[in-house]
Amino acid sequence: MHFAPVLRSEALKVLTLRSLCGTLLAVFAVTTAFSALAGVSDASDADYDPLFTALSGVMPGQIAAIAFGAVVVSSEYQGNGIRLSLAAVPQRGRWFAAKLAVIAGSALVVGLLTSFAALLAARAGLGAAAEGLTAGEQARGVVGCGIYFMLMALLAAGLTTLFRSGVATLSTLIPFILVIAFVIGDAAGGVTEFLPDQAGQVVIHQTHDGTLGPWTGLAVTAGWSMAALLVGAWRLRGRDA
Amino acid sequence: MTSIDVQNLTKEYGTRRAVDDLTFTVRPGRVTGFLGPNGAGKSTTMRLVLGLDRPTSGTAAVGGRPYSVLHEPLRHVGALLDARAAHGARTARDHLRVLAASNRIPARRVDEVLEETGIASVARRRVRTYSLGMRQRLGIAAALLGDPEVVMLDEPSNGLDPEGIIWIRELLRRLAAEGRTVLVSSHLMNETASFADHLVVLGRGRLLADTPMREFIDARVQPSVRIRTSDATALKAALARHGHDAVEGDDGYWTVPHARVDDIGRAVSAAGVPILELSSAEGTLEQAYLDLTAAEAEFTAPYQEA
Repeated sequence: MHFAPVLRSEALKVLTLRSLCGTLLAVFAVTTAFSALAGVSDASDADYDPLFTALSGVMPGQIAAIAFGAVVVSSEYQGNGIRLSLAAVPQRGRWFAAKLAVIAGSALVVGLLTSFAALLAARAGLGAAAEGLTAGEQARGVVGCGIYFMLMALLAAGLTTLFRSGVATLSTLIPFILVIAFVIGDAAGGVTEFLPDQAGQVVIHQTHDGTLGPWTGLAVTAGWSMAALLVGAWRLRGRDA
Repeated sequence: MTSIDVQNLTKEYGTRRAVDDLTFTVRPGRVTGFLGPNGAGKSTTMRLVLGLDRPTSGTAAVGGRPYSVLHEPLRHVGALLDARAAHGARTARDHLRVLAASNRIPARRVDEVLEETGIASVARRRVRTYSLGMRQRLGIAAALLGDPEVVMLDEPSNGLDPEGIIWIRELLRRLAAEGRTVLVSSHLMNETASFADHLVVLGRGRLLADTPMREFIDARVQPSVRIRTSDATALKAALARHGHDAVEGDDGYWTVPHARVDDIGRAVSAAGVPILELSSAEGTLEQAYLDLTAAEAEFTAPYQEA
């Protein structure tokens, strides 16, 4: 089978489900709104980081990105719709690749637009407090943030393929991201910075003091996503649909 | 010629054998009824043919090739497995557009099958607002989308209203007349008898019968003759002379078992017995099926499908 028609079909699946388009819209709205809010709030913190403040909407926004990745996959498992999909495209690897391409593509485009809008919105509020940011740092933050959204969506997609359930994914991933880093935080020493969210968020800070830099951090997050996708693909390949 | 070939197919779920060394061929140009109690392995066999479940051993092929190597499979095989498979938040039209896109089926086919299955007027409504019968029609529309030579439907008359049942019967007959290969599972005997030419019967995953429907019935159920008369004594005497016996039913009819209407008609009229009504009672598929499953008592035990 050719890849292009399968890709077109998968893209059409996202476009014809209002909930999926809504989730992408939520990524944009939530991130931009929280960044704008951070821009106008007090910035006299000791470890104030203007880039992270401007892009702090990522923290709530990533939940929507995770939900997007999870729901694109879980919508297939509703009522065993996956059987219909795999009867239409029996080459499971190709089908999965097309699905991931659609998730990655749409999350990246929305992510880039979102981070750009969030930066603009926050800078409007920050004013002089953001003067210290160079153009390079801002570009890095915007691009990195877009990639981060994409990687989180893919991580969720991989886990959902493994669990065959969006609920299982969300209830694993969201507490993980919201809580774990704070709970084990300092106790675990340098380990927390290698968690998918912590590693990936280095790119949206102006300065970093850990082992990971902006791009190596994203690479670590990509490693997590890749691992989740491989496990998901393995499960998809081996199991009865 | 595109047939479905199942060869020594076995599928185990844990320790349970859902399909047990099954071998049969579904040929084109006729409707093959796929019968068996719940859990006999009908749906599992269909999933194995579609490459959705992996067989423990054996093979299933469509037109001589495994389903998974078919190029744009919806153009060769159309299947309805479960009417609930369409996502409730999509419209019926979008559901079909998504399927059509993946197999490069032209968009006009979407409107054609919507028209053909009688849901064109509700095609822009979300599937979750559909009744079971409408979903069933949508599932059939999806099966017909690629104009396939092979059509495989699992319990298509579920939830259909009386008009729908007549419609599906005519649709199946037409598909077979067009030379397509049609496999239809059902547990409704009278329904199956109305459209099937050939039968494949399963019990606990094993093949119990693979014969033309008429032969299947005639081999198991003897025809009988029903008579209404105003002179029962004369009737009994006339029948006795020809070595037949008659049993009186509650409704005033006499039934002559194991007899053909031609013989009985001649015999009683020659004897001058006043006949008010005379008819032949052909064996039904239901009787034949129950006779078969009674003989294979172990197969009638209810076994819920996975």
